[in-house]
Amino acid sequence: MFTYILRRGLMAILVALTVSFGTFALFHYATDPAQTIAGEDAPQEMVDDIREQYGFDRPAAVQYFDWLGSTLQGDFGESYFWKQPVVQLIKDHAPVTITLALASLSVTILIALPLGISAALKPNSWVDRFALSTAVSAQAIPNFWLGLMLIILFAVTFPIFPVSGDATWRHFVLPSLVLGASSVPAVMRLTRTGLLDVLSSDYIRTARAKGFMGYRLILQQAMRNALLPIVSVLAVQLGNKLGGSVVTESVFSMNGLGRLAVESIFNSDIPTVQSLILIFVLTFVLLTLAADLINAWLDPRIRMG
Amino acid sequence: MRTRTPVKSGICLLGALIASLLAVPADAGQEDNSLVVAFAKPLTTVDRLYSIQREGLILSRLTDDGLFYVNPDTLEFEPLAAESYEWVNQTRLEVTVRDDVTFHDGSPMTADDVVYTYEWVLNDDADTSRGPVIQSWLESVEKVGPRTVRFNLRLPYPMALRDMAISIPVRKEGTYDGVEGRQNSAEDRPLNGIGPYRIKSFSAGREIVIERFDNYYQASPKANPAIDTMVFRVIPDQGTQQAELLSGGIDLMMDVPPDVADNISHLPGVRRKEGNDIRIGYITLDAGGYADPDSPFTNRKVRQAINYAINREEITRYLVRGSAEVIDFACHPRQFGCEADGPRYDYDPEKAKKLLAEAGYPDGFSFKLWAYREKIIAEAVVSNLKAIGLDVDLRFVKLNVFAKVRNDKDMGAFFASYGSGGTADASASTGVHFAESSARNYSGDPALADTVLAAERTIDTQERKRLYRQALNRIAEQAYWVPLFSYSQNYLLAPGLEFPVPKDGVPRFWQASWSEQ
Repeated sequence: MFTYILRRGLMAILVALTVSFGTFALFHYATDPAQTIAGEDAPQEMVDDIREQYGFDRPAAVQYFDWLGSTLQGDFGESYFWKQPVVQLIKDHAPVTITLALASLSVTILIALPLGISAALKPNSWVDRFALSTAVSAQAIPNFWLGLMLIILFAVTFPIFPVSGDATWRHFVLPSLVLGASSVPAVMRLTRTGLLDVLSSDYIRTARAKGFMGYRLILQQAMRNALLPIVSVLAVQLGNKLGGSVVTESVFSMNGLGRLAVESIFNSDIPTVQSLILIFVLTFVLLTLAADLINAWLDPRIRMG
Repeated sequence: MRTRTPVKSGICLLGALIASLLAVPADAGQEDNSLVVAFAKPLTTVDRLYSIQREGLILSRLTDDGLFYVNPDTLEFEPLAAESYEWVNQTRLEVTVRDDVTFHDGSPMTADDVVYTYEWVLNDDADTSRGPVIQSWLESVEKVGPRTVRFNLRLPYPMALRDMAISIPVRKEGTYDGVEGRQNSAEDRPLNGIGPYRIKSFSAGREIVIERFDNYYQASPKANPAIDTMVFRVIPDQGTQQAELLSGGIDLMMDVPPDVADNISHLPGVRRKEGNDIRIGYITLDAGGYADPDSPFTNRKVRQAINYAINREEITRYLVRGSAEVIDFACHPRQFGCEADGPRYDYDPEKAKKLLAEAGYPDGFSFKLWAYREKIIAEAVVSNLKAIGLDVDLRFVKLNVFAKVRNDKDMGAFFASYGSGGTADASASTGVHFAESSARNYSGDPALADTVLAAERTIDTQERKRLYRQALNRIAEQAYWVPLFSYSQNYLLAPGLEFPVPKDGVPRFWQASWSEQ
C-alpha cells in the first residue's frame, strides 16, 4: 500500500509540474503581462517600467525556474495584480470555495442517492422515469443558465435569497443548488446501476431468505457494495467543485478560488495562476487517491490486491 | 399528554426556517440615503497612487483631492486643493495651496504635505503606478513660501495639470513611513485623504464602503454631497448585476451594453441614462510594414481603400448607438487640439475597389484583423471588407493576448479602442498612438512622431493646436488609421436616483442624490 501511495504521489507531482510548465509557457508566449498589469490605456513608460521591475525581460527559462525554486521552498511569490503574497490570497479565497464545494456535494448526495435508490427499487416504473428525466435535465442545463434562473426566481421574483455575495449562509443556498445539480446525473445513474446489479446478486437473495427486508436490506446489505463506484465519483466531483466552480462563483459573485483563477488568468497574474493550478491538480489527485483508499477499506477484495 | 413527533418537529423547524428566509432585508435604497454601485472589476487598493484601474479613478474622485481637478462641465483642469497657480516660465509652476483643507484624520493640509506627496512619487523606491510618467517631466518640488510650492519641470509639459489632477492625490506627510513604499497593507491601513468621502471599510475583491466627510472644505466644488454612504460592490457578471438592480441590491450599473440597456430599461424599477464617453474606436493598419515588410498596408492606396470600404455611419448608428458619433480623425472631437481639415473618407465601396485595383490588388488579398472587444462591430467591419473583395480572417482574442501580439508589432491590422484616461486633450489619444516609442504606433513615420512630440513640449496653446492639426491631417492623408466612432455610455439606475451623466465617461458620484418622491 505504501508503494502504491508513493507512486501516486510522485505521479501527482509530475502532473502538477507538467501543467505548471505548460501554463507558464502559454502565458509567456501568448500574452504581455507588463501591458496587462499596466492596463490597456497605460502609457509606454509605465509598461516598460513594469517589464523591468517584474523581470519580464529576462529569459523565459530563468523566470520559470526562479518561480519553481521559490515554490519548492514554500514561497508562492507575490501576485502581480493584487500585490499580495499568493499564499495570503489563497487563504482568503479558499474558505468560500471549500464551503461551497461541501454544501454542493451535500446537495448532490441528498438528491442523487434517494433518486438513484428509488429508481433501482422500481425499475421501469414512473419513479424510475422521473429520476432519469431529472438526471438528463440536470446534465443538459448549463450552470450559468440554471444560476440565472434561480436568481430570477428566488432572489428577484420571490426575494427569499440574496442575489450575490458570500457573506452569510443564505448566500450559499442558490450556488450550492446550481453546483450540486450538475453532479446529480452521474451519481444518480451510478447509484441506480450499482444497486440494480447488487440487488440481483446471490448474497442479496440469501439475505432476503434470512429475513432482511426493506431499508435494512438496502442500507445494510446492498448499499455497502453499491457504494464502491459512487465513492470514487463523489471524490472526483468534490475535486471538480474545489477547482472548477468558476462559473458558479462568477455568476453569484462569490470570492472563491475559481473566481480568483479567472481574474488571475485575465490579468496575466502568472504567480497566482501557477500556484492555483498546482493546488487544483494536487487536490484532485489526492482526492482520487483518497477514494481508492476508501474503496479498499469498503471492499476487502481490493485490499487483498 | 400528546408528545411532538419528529415529523411534526421537522415541519415546525422548516416553517421557522422559511419564515426567517423570507425576511431578507433590501440592501440598497433611498431610505437610508445610501448609494450602492456595482463595479465589474475588483479594486486591488483604494490608494490612487498605486492604482491604475478606472474603478480606482472613480473612487479617488470621492475619497481624494489633488491640487487640481477636471471640471465636469468644461473638462478643463482647474484648482481644487490649490488656491491658485502660476506658470513662472515654461518649466516652472508655482502653486499656492488652500489653508482650509483637512485630512480625514482632522489634521490640516499644508504645503509640506504637498511636497512630501510629490517627492514620494519622484522616489524610485516608492514604486507608485504613475511614478515613471511623472518622473518623465517633473524634476523636483520645493516649498518656497508658507503656502507656496514650486514645481521644477524637466521640460515644457502641457499636461502637467492633467497628471496632477487625475494621478496625484495629496497625502499626509509621513503616510508611507514604515510600509516599504508599497500598498501591500492598504486593506489594513486606513486611507487618509482629503476628499468629500472617507473610506469606512475595504474588502479587496468584495466591496468598498465610504461615508461622507463632514469637515470637507466648503470652498470646493465637490462640497456638500447629498449621499451619506456609498457602497461599491464587486459583481463581475452583468446578468448578476441586472438581477441585483431589479431586486434592489444595487442602485446603479455602469458600462451597460446598449442591447442589455434596451431590454432591462423597460422593466419596472429601472431607469436608463445615456451619456458621452471620450473613448474612441479605430482600426490601425501596418503602414510601417512591421509585421510584414511586403504588407499591402504599406501602400497608401490600400489604406485609403480600407477607409472607404467601412460603413462607419451605419456601424455607429446601429451597433454602437446612443450618443456615439462617427469620427474622422485620430482623436475625440471633444479633446483639445482635435481640429483638422484633412481628407475624410465617406463610405464608398466602389471607390475602395478602384483604389485596390490601382494599388495592384484587383482581386483583393488576405489578412488577419485582430480584435479584443465588441465582436459584433469587428464582424461588421469584416463584412464590409469582404464586400470589396478582401479575404479577412478575424482573430478575436482576450486583451492580454491582443496586447502581446500588438506590442510585438506582429499585427497587419487591428480594431481597438482607447479611452484617453478620460482626458480631453489630443495628447492622450493622438500623442499616445503616434509617439515614436509607442507600441501602438504602426505608422513608421518619424516626421509624424516628431510633430506629436513637439505638441507635447510646449505650453503655448495655439502652437499645440497647430501641431496637432498638422499631425491629424498627416494621419488622415496617409490613412494610417481608420477612425471609426466615439462611444456612448449607458447607465441603469434605480428610480429616484439623480445622477448627471459625465461628459468624459468617468462618473462623479459626489453629484448623485435621491429625489423626493
